Amino acid sequence: MSLWFEPRLTRDWDDPSMIGLDGYVAKGGYEALSKALAMTDADIVDVVKSSGLRGRGGAGFPAGMKWGFVPRDTGKPTYVVANFDESEPGTCNNRELVERDPHRLLEGMAIAALAIGCETAYLYVRGEYLWQSMVLERAIAQAYAAGHLGPDVQGSGKRVDVVLHRGAGAYICGEETALLNSLEGFRGQPRLRPPFPAVEGLFASPTVINNVETLMNVPDILVRGAEWFRELGTEKSPGTKMVTVSGKVERPGNFEVPLGTSFRIVLEELAGGVLGGRALKAWTPGGSSTPMLTAEHLDVGLDYESLAEAGSMLGTAAIMVMDDTDCVVDCATRMVRFYAHESCGKCTPCREGSWWATRVLERLEDGQGQAPDLPIMRDLGTNLMFRAFCALADGTASVINSSLQHFPDEYEAHVRLGGCPLKVEHLEEVPA
Amino acid sequence: MPVDPITLTIDDKEVTVPKGTLIIRAAEQLGIEIPRFCDHPYLAPAGACRQCYVQVEGQGKLQTSCTVAVAPGMVVRTQNTSDAARQAQVANLEFLLLNHPLDCPICDRGGECPLQDQALAFGPGESRFIDAKRVFPKPVPLSPLVGLDRERCVLCARCTRFCDEISGDRFLELFARSAGERVSIAAGEDFRSPFSGNTIQICPVGALTATPYRFVARPFDLTSGDSVCQHCSAGCNVRVDVRRGEVVRVLARENPDVNDAWICDKGRFAYRHADAPGRITTPLIRDRGLEPASFGEILPWLAERCRSGRVAFLTGGRLMDEDYYALSKLARTVVGTNDLDHRRAFHGGLAEVVAAAAVTDRERSVTYRDVEHAPVILLVGLDAEQEVPILHLRIRKAAARGAKVFVVHPRRTRLHDVAEHLPTRPGHEVFVLDRIREGVDGESFEARAAAALRGAGGSGVVLVGERLAEHPLAADLALAVASKTGSRFGYVTRRANDRGALGAGVHPSLLPGGRRLGVAGERAEVEAVWGSIMASEDGRDAQEILQACADRLVDVLFVIGADPLRDHPDAALTRRALANVGTLVVQSIELGDLEPFASVFLPAAPAAEKDGHVTDWEGRSQRIRPVRDALGISRPDWEIFAGLAAAMGSDLGFETLEELHEEMASLLAPRAMPERPNVWAGAGPPQWLDDLTLFTYPLLVDEGRLSDGAEELKAALEDPAFAEMHPVDAEKRGLADGVDVRLTTAAGDATVPLRVTEHVAAGSVFVPFNQPGLAANSLLSGRSTASVTVAAVDEGSGPEAVPDAALATGPAA
Repeated sequence: MSLWFEPRLTRDWDDPSMIGLDGYVAKGGYEALSKALAMTDADIVDVVKSSGLRGRGGAGFPAGMKWGFVPRDTGKPTYVVANFDESEPGTCNNRELVERDPHRLLEGMAIAALAIGCETAYLYVRGEYLWQSMVLERAIAQAYAAGHLGPDVQGSGKRVDVVLHRGAGAYICGEETALLNSLEGFRGQPRLRPPFPAVEGLFASPTVINNVETLMNVPDILVRGAEWFRELGTEKSPGTKMVTVSGKVERPGNFEVPLGTSFRIVLEELAGGVLGGRALKAWTPGGSSTPMLTAEHLDVGLDYESLAEAGSMLGTAAIMVMDDTDCVVDCATRMVRFYAHESCGKCTPCREGSWWATRVLERLEDGQGQAPDLPIMRDLGTNLMFRAFCALADGTASVINSSLQHFPDEYEAHVRLGGCPLKVEHLEEVPA
Repeated sequence: MPVDPITLTIDDKEVTVPKGTLIIRAAEQLGIEIPRFCDHPYLAPAGACRQCYVQVEGQGKLQTSCTVAVAPGMVVRTQNTSDAARQAQVANLEFLLLNHPLDCPICDRGGECPLQDQALAFGPGESRFIDAKRVFPKPVPLSPLVGLDRERCVLCARCTRFCDEISGDRFLELFARSAGERVSIAAGEDFRSPFSGNTIQICPVGALTATPYRFVARPFDLTSGDSVCQHCSAGCNVRVDVRRGEVVRVLARENPDVNDAWICDKGRFAYRHADAPGRITTPLIRDRGLEPASFGEILPWLAERCRSGRVAFLTGGRLMDEDYYALSKLARTVVGTNDLDHRRAFHGGLAEVVAAAAVTDRERSVTYRDVEHAPVILLVGLDAEQEVPILHLRIRKAAARGAKVFVVHPRRTRLHDVAEHLPTRPGHEVFVLDRIREGVDGESFEARAAAALRGAGGSGVVLVGERLAEHPLAADLALAVASKTGSRFGYVTRRANDRGALGAGVHPSLLPGGRRLGVAGERAEVEAVWGSIMASEDGRDAQEILQACADRLVDVLFVIGADPLRDHPDAALTRRALANVGTLVVQSIELGDLEPFASVFLPAAPAAEKDGHVTDWEGRSQRIRPVRDALGISRPDWEIFAGLAAAMGSDLGFETLEELHEEMASLLAPRAMPERPNVWAGAGPPQWLDDLTLFTYPLLVDEGRLSDGAEELKAALEDPAFAEMHPVDAEKRGLADGVDVRLTTAAGDATVPLRVTEHVAAGSVFVPFNQPGLAANSLLSGRSTASVTVAAVDEGSGPEAVPDAALATGPAA
């Protein structure tokens, strides 16, 4: 189908030459960097600030403001870190962005580095992303050879090095302070805040950590301006967002949409509707850690504010669709098991609580559930939410709380029927 | 009023605390106990256990009170006034207990366990958990001293943080993640840190247990006494636990002025010597053999010999202040000799003035707090980790706060990761010190140390070890460095009460309070209290006393709480002395190696059974109290001295410890440092010698008598004897790492395995003083250094070599 807006991040996805430097430069690549080199640090920060670009990694913090927090008079170096640890279940848009357009990320990192006076930018890549690392290594080599990176960026006399670091396969390393620990060679466990990374981040120096998609928006903002950026999206959530649609849909994949686009349009127009024309039962708007919504929420706009109002979050905009043949308890079990497995172990509620929740959910799904299990699940949801060291357990709690909130009867049926109502023969007994 | 005071409200009560105080500490000041596991006042906040939740007004989420600093006007509600906080704490305890084995009835911690106590006080009454618990193999020995039960562990990370932040011995780490996360140690590695036991004490559950205490006692079976550790001069405050009269455990007692909350493993695990099989609790006198006798029989017999003969006294370094004082007075006013010494062998190297200054000059002396806050620390001739371990921890603490640490020592010390180290051949410290004193320019170690000390604004610290005192000028010069840079000066002796002995004047030329015998005015100050001092000539030092004994110039030698055969750095002379002296009186808790020589044994009580004071390296005098009754008819040393004085028809002038202490205090009060001549005239360039210098000092865990019975400690931390040599010297002699070498000095020879290492200064050979396989005093002639030759043990010609003929014919029939 033809789109109703001009795509931005995905506009050249059909051009395979974009994976190389020549293709990227032919489409105007690294012109934003030239422009940035002619600007002052503060002007770069101001443009990004006025564009309203918000962090695409989940929290939605304004990127320009983050850059503006970095103190420049500490006598320490400053660092830019690109977070390419994309690990949230259901999320793979960073991966495709990098596979198809790696230089845009490098250009965004270089501009961010100029904005905060950083000479070494780190690119933290999810351990499983081997191919993507190879693509990036090649792109980095090309950018160095062409003088877009290195000791003398485009002849400006300024130095920007990019160091690629592959993680070792832990979900927690997407959390920015755990990522910093991992980058420094320590265990991937989150750090106490304050001090915040902007003040004391990598190697105890001021650090900006941005998501890949955030950084890839930066070159266009510099070339075309903040006003242009605000032409799409909503007032508070300007620009476009990559969404990953997976699960029971006809056409799963990554799609770029203006922020604020309704879930209905994404599901029906872009993803081809629910698989086999079945009924929509539930969906996660931003990866499995965001509270699941239901068919009632088809017309909610995909932006930070609308989703918060609906009781969920934009997160990584990874939409997982469940239809009426999917058991919510089964889905919750898989999700919670993932978070239990990925808990870094540092703090008690996350480590023990998600482990206990997995035991209880597995039991329910296996037909071994007992009446006290439902109050236990409710308590677990309460005792995991906002109690852990970092936000990982909040994701675990969101799965539990939202599934219990929207589908309490299904949980009860698991206890009452001694198993999953969607698997056992007495399907007809499932309450309407 | 604290600096930068902040006033806040906790549970409706107002409290004012310094800026930066954590909520949990502010609550403590109000007497409000917030439950916690990972929080520890000496460790950085972790926020890991999530037990200490409180509600802070205006904050949507509950806050962990161990990670959040107070703010002006903050309103905090703990579990006492907030349902939300209480609910969260109950829930968290439920989480912590899910996988806990609840084996309290067989757990060493049961009865004194923070998890048990807090579960009772704040936790849910029953468990809702019905699934299978997580299991781990257990207990896992981390070392011969420390066992790990991972099922009991609540992963608070106190132990791993102790290793990272306090000891720097980073053996323990969290491994794996999620519910499988566990404390562990690298495969094939032992928890070989001399501070390992602290992790057991700060473990808030029974996950880390002490092998020597495992299944030994329940807390309610113990009687406990507060004491001060006797192993070194650190002065660590300890709690001694006794079960049915037997010491079964030693724990650190918190004292922020001394040991913070830590003690070393020797202090913690070497507690069995007082109950060792060799302990004797009744007097003995040699007739046909050594026969039991009473004090009433022996003291008059001894008094007679002391009246008529020439008498000398050698003591160890671990008596009480009161014991030393009584001895000093007995020798000077009753027996009439100045032949008394507590040191092993110093040839006047530490000028009396320096010693006197160290004892008396409080203004410029050094305390732990001074070390902790010093911006610059210079250590000379001191391996703090091995000699005074808790001082080592304080230096590390200072380094963590940003202090620059400089070490001048012939062998790398465990401060190597936080200090600049100048490997210096023994004896050559003087040249280094001279350059620091001169304040040479440039980028050299000496220039940087001098500049740093000068820039420290009077807060710099110079610490000198006792071995430096052997050099005629080194200690004096170190004092000059301190004076010139305005630094504080600390003379760090090794044994628990060396400082007390020095202060009381158990010394051939110093009287109590560092007063010089040879200076009439200073002697008169003592005589004003004591009456007449019978002999006014300086006496013999330890080496000279032993020489005199060997030359049959001494009739009665008292060896008091000492084992010169092991400790005196001239084994051959000691043996001759003991054989030749007329009457050898051993006053100790055991006879040990002295048995064949002893004429009389007087049973002294060990520290655990005594009342009195010990003075640590700082000069801090601390009271210790008996933790149990004296065994048999053993007595405190001072009472034996008083008894001997009475038997000699005299009177020391005190009958109770209080009377003694009062008299002593008047002479030990701080006084101004006496004027001292500047003896240093410049060292000139170092004179490199062709031969090698052997040097030795005792390692923390060795064959010392006080470690008798501490088998687990020795298994964990004691190395067999070895020699260390620099690769340059080894190459010159064609010696490889690991080969057996023969060390030959003027005093004797020994064969030990060689370690070739860059961590010892070129031109020097290190042997530990008293490890299994070699008592290094057999190689010494009265000093801790000696000229040495080192050669490979030739397999064909050494005495151990088997003759070829024997190999050819097999064993003789």
